[in-house]
Amino acid sequence: MEYVLTLLPMLVKMAIVVGVLLLLPLPLTWMERKIAAHIQQRPGPMRVGWHGLLQPLADAVKLLTKEDHIPAEADRRLFAMAPVVALVPPFLVFTAIPFGDPVQVFGTEVSLMLSDMNVGLLFILAVSGIGVFGTILAGWASNSKYAVLGSLRSIAQMISYEIPMGFSVIGVVMLASSMNLSQIVAAQEGLWNVVVQPVGFFVFFVAGLAEAQRIPFDLPEAEGDLGAGYHTEYSGIRFSLFMLAEYLVVVMLAALNVLLFFGGWKGSPFFLPDTVWFLLKIGFFVWVFMWFRFTFPRYRYDQLMAIGWKVLLPLSLLNILVSGILML
Amino acid sequence: MARTTVKGTGWIGRLFFFDLLAGLRLTLRYMFSKTVTHRYPDHEKWVPYERHRGHHFIKTNDEGDVNCVACELCSQICPCDCITVIPYENEKGDRRPKVFDINLARCLYCGLCEDACPADAIKLGQEYEVACDDRPKLVVHLEDLVAAPRKAADGGQVRPAKLEPGSGRRSVATAAAGAEGYDWWRHIRKGK
Repeated sequence: MEYVLTLLPMLVKMAIVVGVLLLLPLPLTWMERKIAAHIQQRPGPMRVGWHGLLQPLADAVKLLTKEDHIPAEADRRLFAMAPVVALVPPFLVFTAIPFGDPVQVFGTEVSLMLSDMNVGLLFILAVSGIGVFGTILAGWASNSKYAVLGSLRSIAQMISYEIPMGFSVIGVVMLASSMNLSQIVAAQEGLWNVVVQPVGFFVFFVAGLAEAQRIPFDLPEAEGDLGAGYHTEYSGIRFSLFMLAEYLVVVMLAALNVLLFFGGWKGSPFFLPDTVWFLLKIGFFVWVFMWFRFTFPRYRYDQLMAIGWKVLLPLSLLNILVSGILML
Repeated sequence: MARTTVKGTGWIGRLFFFDLLAGLRLTLRYMFSKTVTHRYPDHEKWVPYERHRGHHFIKTNDEGDVNCVACELCSQICPCDCITVIPYENEKGDRRPKVFDINLARCLYCGLCEDACPADAIKLGQEYEVACDDRPKLVVHLEDLVAAPRKAADGGQVRPAKLEPGSGRRSVATAAAGAEGYDWWRHIRKGK
């Protein structure tokens, strides 16, 4: 009986998180297409459902019924494995992301996260670093020059930007004296970290864009020069798994930005529930990512490397140094 | 197009990415401005200006007789040889076309037939929905040309319209009667 009482909330939370994450790309694709359209003064999808709201469902049906093609010379086992490998890390990251303070349900305290790790931030950075394996495997297994080029670029990009990303959060960790995300949020009650750590936020945001492989850092899937990059040879359901992973990484980065620099769920106005306030902030960051996507062109490869190593890395080191001196 | 130029901000501008911010400001303005796309053919339809050279029509006189005297000047001047006219003498003793075929698949809508016509018979109207699924259907005959829509007085605006499935090869959208149109250019941003 006791096991059930501890296991049941866990299972329910897991079911909710997995369900929401699996369904999340549907509204996000709609949002992305609408934002793209309105930036270009188009109405976007209008014909399926009210203002095209059912368009993602139609697209999903289309993707699921498409031919599942595997190139003749491809490494079949790796080719089948790669989308799953790409999908696991973004899901795994959400085990460590808190959505609010613990709440009372039927007299028992339920924490609004799957696992309250005291090294949550480290776990997230480590696991999201694994995400690059899906890309590498996909590019290698496809046996296609565009796919290999895309995955090579993505390896270089991920390694270059993971370093400033890791360094940029150290300032936040110093302020909160903890790597536990709930405590980092609790430390921001009153004053958001973005005020104290503007440079840290800037580096984290830019490195995050690069980690998510969004424009202006979407070289691994640059349509103009690589076909579609590492998923050139993928179609149907396997392709949609890559899309799912990409959207989840965007949501994850938005969540991290909010948790680390914008006070998480603290200080919600108008009696808004904390979790709703938190989700609204995440939504805002997702919107900002999409806004960036349809505003900027893509950086050249050497510019990408120069930004990573010559600008962001020194900036993040300087940030650590200055915040360390100020805290002493 | 509106342009974003950032001038005279020096190193401060470069440090704080004034150029990127200007780009973001521009796209943000566009994001909350009106869209310019016609919702054609579901809700509205562009009626071209009167000078537009679209589907041909043949005028008739007060007695309901066609103006055309079958002089064949139009078929002579036609640069793509798409007009076929065969004359005959009707019961009143007038020269009239027995056959007047225009192959719309060949026509380039240059309007030379209109210029050559001595009898003010053939004109090019504002109708542009001539797509169909069979090439022989693109050859229009005399009765089609007589029945084709005349010059529309309300050219140069977007009219409310509705898609009527199976409404024939022309007139995919039919303008709802009495509804006000609008000038499409009103939403277009004029660059500085």
